[in-house]
Formats: sequence, structure tokens, C-alpha cells
Amino acid sequence: MQRRRMGRILLEAGMIVLSLLFLYPLFLAINNSFKSFAEVMTDVIALPKQLSLDNYVYVWKFINYPRLFLNNTIITIVGLAGIVLVSSIAAYKLARTKSKWSSAIYMLCIMPMLIPFQSIMLTVLRLAKDLHLADSTWGLGLLYWGFGAPLAVFIYHGFVKGIPNEIDESAKIDGASGFRLFFSVIFPLLKSVTATIVIIDVMWIWNDFLLPLLMVNGSPSTKTLTLAAYTFVGQYTSDWQYAMTAMVMAVLPSIVVFIFLQKYIVKGVVAGAVKG
Amino acid sequence: MLKKRGSQGDKGSKLEFGLFTLPVILCITIAFYIPFLMTIRYSLTKWNGISKHPKFVGLDNFKQILLGDANFAHAAWFTVKYAILYIVLVNVLAILLALVLDMKLKSSAWLRAAFFIPYILSLVIVGFIWKFIFMQGFESLGNSTGWGIFQLSWLGQEGLAFISILAVSIWQSIGFYMVIYIAGLQSVPEDLKEAAIVDGAGPIRRFFSITLPLLAPSITISVFMALTNSIKVFDVILSLTGGGPGGTTYSIAYDIYRDTFQNNLYGYGTAKALLLFVAVLIITIIQLSIFKRREVEA
Repeated sequence: MQRRRMGRILLEAGMIVLSLLFLYPLFLAINNSFKSFAEVMTDVIALPKQLSLDNYVYVWKFINYPRLFLNNTIITIVGLAGIVLVSSIAAYKLARTKSKWSSAIYMLCIMPMLIPFQSIMLTVLRLAKDLHLADSTWGLGLLYWGFGAPLAVFIYHGFVKGIPNEIDESAKIDGASGFRLFFSVIFPLLKSVTATIVIIDVMWIWNDFLLPLLMVNGSPSTKTLTLAAYTFVGQYTSDWQYAMTAMVMAVLPSIVVFIFLQKYIVKGVVAGAVKG
Repeated sequence: MLKKRGSQGDKGSKLEFGLFTLPVILCITIAFYIPFLMTIRYSLTKWNGISKHPKFVGLDNFKQILLGDANFAHAAWFTVKYAILYIVLVNVLAILLALVLDMKLKSSAWLRAAFFIPYILSLVIVGFIWKFIFMQGFESLGNSTGWGIFQLSWLGQEGLAFISILAVSIWQSIGFYMVIYIAGLQSVPEDLKEAAIVDGAGPIRRFFSITLPLLAPSITISVFMALTNSIKVFDVILSLTGGGPGGTTYSIAYDIYRDTFQNNLYGYGTAKALLLFVAVLIITIIQLSIFKRREVEA
């Protein structure tokens, strides 16, 4: 028994060391974001001589951080609101209707999960330009409606099937039907699955790279955080102190959100993956 | 009278069906189906993206890609190698991690969070952070430890650059697979494990005869996700190696990106894109049918 406990303690200590090594690259990025160019060049692992925020001030102004943060927020909220609304309502109807049309439309909705984005990226860009959705944060948010819908419809559809039909019927007897029935009775019941979809899609849209690169790379005012960090590094290839600062500033919001909502994020990701 | 009301209700419900489903159909058609049809059309043309009228060339693009495009062949081989190694390694490592973290250690919650954190970061940024570490950090680490492993040119040599891309992708995403496996392990009934202990099965025997078979659903999901993600590998290569050294780390997705947006071969690039789609389709069908069959047996 004594030996088993010793083994446990050793294992635990080993895992803690492993996890610290695992996160060490992130620590190095943060560490070097506080250094001057000369300090980065002489020794990457040494701690900064003084805690100066100069790099942060410089990058903040240079990439217009508040603007980019706002862009990311707009794109994510617009995208998310649309995905949730459009997909939940359709998935509900499709799950409740037993007809050839209904199953055909359901297939039509989930089939795109098989289409790799790279297969259509050029033509999506052309179409978006024709529809005046390119070069605009709002337009990009709108585009996510379609890109996020297949998975969301799939997950909602599976969930709605588990909600007994009697609930709809009793609501209908009480006089509710159509949108009223959906929004006041069904949608609240979808809360947990909506949370899952929100978590998966926030992580995806907030961090997405290729679609923003194609759609909103035109002017500095429409860029997203990741995109700006990417172009910034392109311009400052050897100024690693600025590059690392830009990286840290781009990922900081995700890390802060993760620390606060850790439990829900992990749960949501698992639920989404198991369904998907 | 009754009949009439019935048919009216029918009309009403049809209208409602349309109102509920039309928005999603519209969104998906714009995001996927129209671009997809346009891709098919452009793949049959020679087009530089500027001229108004793409020149129709039939199946020439496909012939050229399959018979005489060394870049594509190389990128395809890179992607296949990457996908196989990624799927195997990320799943094996994630299962090992999950097994340890499922043993209620005091710091389990913290450890899970630590291994999950890279997954919430954008792959492009992860690529840049690692580029910095490979290029600048390894030098300092080599100086302070004296280990030769840090003196190698991890992004500058073909084989090593491949390993770097693989390692960084695994580093970024292992937390995701780990949580899937932890969830799977938690659904393994305790009494089964206890019964096996009573029967005298050792830990290794218990793992292979009880835990692993019961983990099958999680393995199915994880392999599927690892496969779909690895076929499309792009972001991390773009920021980590940029395809180098000497164009040896181009994946199919990157090759398509380069042809269309950097070389302005729009028709040719879309033909490649269509081939990627067909490959994904075939692999998915094979994979789904294999797992369906196994599920029926189980």
C-alpha cells in the first residue's frame, strides 16, 4: 500500500513537470514580449531585465488593437447569432416533419460537412465579392451562417429527436403554434445544446484564419486579430519582440475566457465532438 | 367540413415548413452549393482570374495534375504521410494522457486544463510561436543545456521540418483528443474493472481486454476528427515553415492555395481543389462504412 502511494506521488509529480514543459513555449512567448530586441537576441530563456510594457504600447497602436478586437467581436457575435437562430429553427422543423422533402433537405444541410473549405475557397471569395459581402466585418459574420450551419443543424437535429412530441402538442392545445411555439417552448429546451454550439463556434470563428484572410484582408480596419498578427509578423520578420507581443495580444482574450469558462468549454467541446 | 380544415392546416404547415427551413437552405446554398458548382465549372477552364471569359479546356487540367504535376504528387505524398503519422501519434499519446489523468490525481483538473490550453489558440499563431522557438529559443536552450538536439536545424532540413510540423500540430491539438478519451473512460463501468481485478487481470491485461474495447466509440470519433483535420492541414505550415525548406513541406491544401492565389492559376487550382474533395469523399465513405460494420458487430 505504501509503495502504491509512493508511485502515485511520483506519477503526479511527473505529470506536473510534463505539463509545465508542455506549456513552456507559451511562457517563452510571454517572456520575450517584455524584452527589448537586444535582450531577445542574446538570450531567449532569460527573464526580462525590467518589466516594460513598451512592446505592448507599440503593437497596440500599430495594429489598432481596439479596432481589431471590435472586429473580432462583431464577426463572432453576428456569425454565432445567425448560426444558432437559422440552424435551430430548421433542425427543429426537419426533425419533427416526417416526409421525403424533410429528409432530403436534412441531407442537403449536412452534406457540406464533407466539402473541404479549400475546395471552394476561390469561388466563395468570388461569390462573396458579387454579393458585396467581402471586405466587410458584417459580411464576413454573415458568411459564417452558412459555414456553421451544417454542423449546427446536425447537432440540433439529433437533440430535438430526444424531446418528446407531446410537448409540442400540449403547447398547440394551449394555442401556441409556429414561431411562438418554437421560441417560447422549444428553444428554451435546447439550452444545453445551444451552449455546446456557441462554445465550438466561438472558438472556431474567433481563431479562424483562412476565411478572414480571403475576405477581409483588404484594409487594416477590417482585419481580425489573428489576421493582423499574421501580417504584422510578415512585416517584422526579425523583430521577434514585437512579433511575440502581437501573438500574446492575439491569444490573450481566448486564454482569459478559457480560464473563466474552462469547465463549460471542455464539456461543450466533448458534447459537440461526440455528436459530430 | 373536417376535410377542408385538414387541407387548410396542411397548407399552413407547408408554409411553416418553408419559413422554418428556407433561411438555412439559403445560407448553405450561398456558402457551399453555389461555390461548389462554380468550382466544377472553373476546373474545366484555363483562367488567370483577370480575363472576363475563362477558356474552356475540358479535362485538360485534371490530366495535367494526375500525369505531370510533380508539386501535386509531392504535396499529396506529404499529406498522406502527415495524416497517417498524425492520426496514430495524436491518438496513442492522447489515450496515454487520458489514462493517467483519469486516475483521480489531486492536480487532475489543473493538468487537464494545461494540456487543453494550446487547443484554444489559433493554429497560425501557434505556428509563429513555435517558429520563434525553433529559430531563436533552441539556440539559447542549446547553449544552456549543451544538448545537441537543440543545435539541429529543425525548420531548415526536409525531414526535420516535417517532424516539426507534425510535433507542433500534435502539441496544439492533443488536449482535444485527450478530453474525448477522458469522457470515454468515464463511461467505462467501475464494476467491470473491479471484476477484472478480482479475476486476477493485471493492469496491462485490463487495459487491452476491457478499457480499450469499451473506448471504441471514442476512438472512432477521434480518428475521424484527426483524419478530416489532417487532410486539410494548412495554417500551421503557412506560419511555421511557409512550405520550406525548398518547397518540401507543401500539403495539398497549401499547394491549392499557392496555385490559385499566388500563381494565379485559377482554373488549374480549382481542379486540384475538386480532386481534394473527391479524395475526402472517398476516404469518408470508406471510413464510415468500416465503422458502421464494426458497430453492428459490437
